[in-house]
Amino acid sequence: MLTRLALRNIWRNRRRTLLTLSAMVVSSALLILALGVFSGMLRDMLASATEQYYGHLVISAKGYQDDRDMYRSYTPEAVEKVLQRKETITGYSLRLRGFGLLSFARNSAPAELLGVIPALEEQVTSLQNHLVTGSYLATDSSAGAVLGVGLARRLGVRPGDELVFVTQAADGSIGNDLLTVSGVFATGDYGHDNSLVLVPLGWLQRVMVLPGQIHETALHIDDPLAAAAGAAQLRPLLPAGLEILTWGDLLPEMREVVASYNVSRLIVVTILYLATGLGILNTFFMSVMERTREFGVLLAIGMRPGQIRLLIFLETFFMGLFGLAFGILGGVGLSLYMARVGIDLSGTLTPITYAGGTILPRLGAVLEWSNVLIPASCLLAVSLLAGFLPANRAARMQPVDAIREE
Amino acid sequence: MVTLSRLLLVVLFFFSAVAVPALAEQPDLRQLIQQVERQYTGESSIATVEMTVETGHWERHLTMELWSLGRERFLVRIVAPAKEKGVATLKVDNEVWNYLPKVDRVIRVPPSMMGGAWMGSHITNDDLVKANKIDEDYDFRLLEQNAASWVIEALPKPTAAVIWGKIIYQLNPETLVPERIDYFDEEDLLVRQIVFADVQLVNGRWVPLRMTVLPVEKPAEKTVLQYRRLQFNVGLEKSFFSLGRLKERR
Amino acid sequence: MELLALAWKNLWRNRRRTLITLAALSLSLMLIEAAHNLSFGVYRTMIDSGVRAGSGHLTIYRQGYLAARDEKLSFDPDSLADTITGFDGVAAVLPRLYLPALAQSSRESRGVLLTGIDPRVERRINPFLKKLPDAQMLTSLNGREAILGSRLLKELQLKPGNKFVVTLQHRSGDLVSEMFRVHGVVETGIKNVDSTLLLVGRERAAALAGIGHEIHELAIILNNPDAEATVYPRLQALISQFPGLEAVSWERAMPNLFNAIRLDYASQKFIFVIMLLIVTIGVVNTLLMSVMERFHEFGIILAVGASAMRLRTLVLFEALLLGVISMLFGSILGSLATWYLQDVGIDMRSFIDQSLEFGGVVFDPVLRAQWDLTWMFQVAVYLLFLTLGAALYPAIKAGRINPVDAMRHH
Repeated sequence: MLTRLALRNIWRNRRRTLLTLSAMVVSSALLILALGVFSGMLRDMLASATEQYYGHLVISAKGYQDDRDMYRSYTPEAVEKVLQRKETITGYSLRLRGFGLLSFARNSAPAELLGVIPALEEQVTSLQNHLVTGSYLATDSSAGAVLGVGLARRLGVRPGDELVFVTQAADGSIGNDLLTVSGVFATGDYGHDNSLVLVPLGWLQRVMVLPGQIHETALHIDDPLAAAAGAAQLRPLLPAGLEILTWGDLLPEMREVVASYNVSRLIVVTILYLATGLGILNTFFMSVMERTREFGVLLAIGMRPGQIRLLIFLETFFMGLFGLAFGILGGVGLSLYMARVGIDLSGTLTPITYAGGTILPRLGAVLEWSNVLIPASCLLAVSLLAGFLPANRAARMQPVDAIREE
Repeated sequence: MVTLSRLLLVVLFFFSAVAVPALAEQPDLRQLIQQVERQYTGESSIATVEMTVETGHWERHLTMELWSLGRERFLVRIVAPAKEKGVATLKVDNEVWNYLPKVDRVIRVPPSMMGGAWMGSHITNDDLVKANKIDEDYDFRLLEQNAASWVIEALPKPTAAVIWGKIIYQLNPETLVPERIDYFDEEDLLVRQIVFADVQLVNGRWVPLRMTVLPVEKPAEKTVLQYRRLQFNVGLEKSFFSLGRLKERR
Repeated sequence: MELLALAWKNLWRNRRRTLITLAALSLSLMLIEAAHNLSFGVYRTMIDSGVRAGSGHLTIYRQGYLAARDEKLSFDPDSLADTITGFDGVAAVLPRLYLPALAQSSRESRGVLLTGIDPRVERRINPFLKKLPDAQMLTSLNGREAILGSRLLKELQLKPGNKFVVTLQHRSGDLVSEMFRVHGVVETGIKNVDSTLLLVGRERAAALAGIGHEIHELAIILNNPDAEATVYPRLQALISQFPGLEAVSWERAMPNLFNAIRLDYASQKFIFVIMLLIVTIGVVNTLLMSVMERFHEFGIILAVGASAMRLRTLVLFEALLLGVISMLFGSILGSLATWYLQDVGIDMRSFIDQSLEFGGVVFDPVLRAQWDLTWMFQVAVYLLFLTLGAALYPAIKAGRINPVDAMRHH
């Protein structure tokens, strides 16, 4: 009965309803979009930190990441067995690292060689998406190399050229062999672009005389923000002598960037919520307050105060729900558009190296359910409160006073 | 790289000194040490050296042939083991090339890389750069003088660009070749030791043909150099030290 | 005038509605002003510390140095530094030279960037030195004291007071060495800086490299980044007398910092547009609602003989008054909020778990606002126009209504 009355009231005063609803729809849609953009930036930042080099988690011999001692290597079988049982791990790459001199014609430069299995490495890092020329590593057996653009320029090489790599192998001998440049990548990170080279794992194991050995296993997981929990889960399962580190351990500056970003996001989001809440609060408050006279009449014809409160509650509830439905639709639509298209700033900005990662100049968005549900429920609560306060006041008044009120 | 440069260093070390003249009764310490530091140098030389390097992870033996002309030019080529036979290094003034027979390439080593790699070895850059200046950088004091040995303490001058806090030389009074040199840091902790042995008469002067470098804080590690053949003043020409010679396989 | 008074009286006839509308407008204005000033302050700080740790707001280089970082491209600052220090708006002029070198202790050696500085000026400006105790600061231009990054110190296995040797390539091509002593240790929290930073007096470094009194970089720090507009042209004019030199702004000298700030700024702008839109819809709705609810009242006014024009003007005047009051009131609130945020700020450390050590250099853990009066004024005026704009439609409509219908309306 009251429900029908509430719906009829909403329908009856269409102008007021439309005004109230438009506030709800537009602000909730924009709020959802803003939250999505924030999440997008955080994702880009994390991806930049992790997907170029380390991955989300790294398993290596204790102390290896600190001193990069080539003798702190291990055989991957036991680790692989553990990893294959975990479904939260979306990819892992076995790597061997070697430092040495890379040379072409009269040029030579120190370099860091990362021996990888290309199919596995692609699951963890995204260097294959940053090629400026040539192609990614093909198979494990060939002696191909994908190197940073700065290094390539210093050596003066192009895809197809033959490089010589010289190093001190694990047995003390002078390890040396030829590599054919297959591709050149540009990540925007000065360090990587000027020294990093990807080579086939088997080739590097041979040159370094470390057969079957790797230095680290880089993992890619579902949610990089849950890296610490993932590490804690894997830690007890690892063979003795190995440790598992998160991207935050390996890139402490990045962890600080993310933490400080979270704080500033918190501040801006609070302000956004306040602004949205204020707008909706006002619209609902006013729309109910203006009806004090109407409530006086209702009271005068014998409606109980409780019924009036319930009536308003239902009215605002339905309107809120209705507004949110469209607001969410709009917000999700806008977020999806931003996620797919985004705002490309590469015309005016170059990629930015920041605390060990590189951020591409693009504004995107991520659609997360928490970014929809939390604002939706907050705004619904705000509108119910905004409706309840004047309704409660009117319900408590003497009918005569209420009718007389301007 | 460490090995190549280590090798190169050893070579420079060996040829960075001059013959020791006869000794006066009351030794001029400065001159004495200068002579010690230059004991391996000749106007030119040919040598065959066996080098053993031990670390906690590996041990290896190399046989090399060396040619030198003054301090500016030298050529070193590995003759054994078979796996590394033919690997060679040529130094002419400030430039250094390596030859790698496996890939048949000559590689020019950038100065920055040479500097970086020398440091990882048991013999440091200082030995190379400072050996000639040791008399300028240090003040000397005779700690002990007896029939068995002379012990000379070298303390760096306050502003000398040297990494050591103190060097102690132990010389044989008869041959005036060093038996041991101890290197200390500023806190008087022994960091490195060089022990000499197998003293022989070469072209009229005493030379210890065996030299062992011990990084004291890494007890498992050492580098041993053993001269199998050494000849001074062999009359090499500048043109001998060429890239063509570098690539010669024998 | 008489209409304006009437509008004023009208506003206070329904005090409750007016107060709600005013509150909505001023609070929105306050929020947006405070938020903008906060982020404005954070950017200023970011640029400021970036510029102070880096190459200054403006920098003088030998042509080509910026691109190649070739240490042969040095120049003699001669009288330049003094002349520029005399410019209005210049806070400090920092001569620096950068030499790739090898640092060696008795046990280890590491590649470093030997940076020759003017300790007296640098101390005042460089944020890396902020936490350094006075006793650890370099005391002269040509001493043997050195300040090392904490990681470098550890890797070289050195302790404060220990000596170490720096070897680098002399201008002539020879390798030269010099002994220095650890005098100060700096921990910036930035791995790359902590493992390569090596600061010494610039004259000692220049003498070692055999380049006399020459330097590679003359970093100019301004009192206020806005002074760039006046200082840059003067600098250009001055530099033109020195062939081979160039003056570069920080945007060009430090593209990474510039782009990072621009990207962040772009996203902030995006969020601000959203915020403005949210505020706009709130304001417009509140106003529309407050005007449209009064069609009954308008009917009466028209019925008693007022012209449509008069009614329209009245409605607009009411909106104008609302706008002006909330503009003033909102700006006052916004100023109070800004003043608080500038004075006290927001300490990020209270939000983040304590174990996290902030660099303290690149990221100031306390976010502080700064005044951007132009912007505050602009957004206040925007609000005023918004109020008027929102009243325009109901005002026009109010003039068109049929008094009888309007009185029945409800």
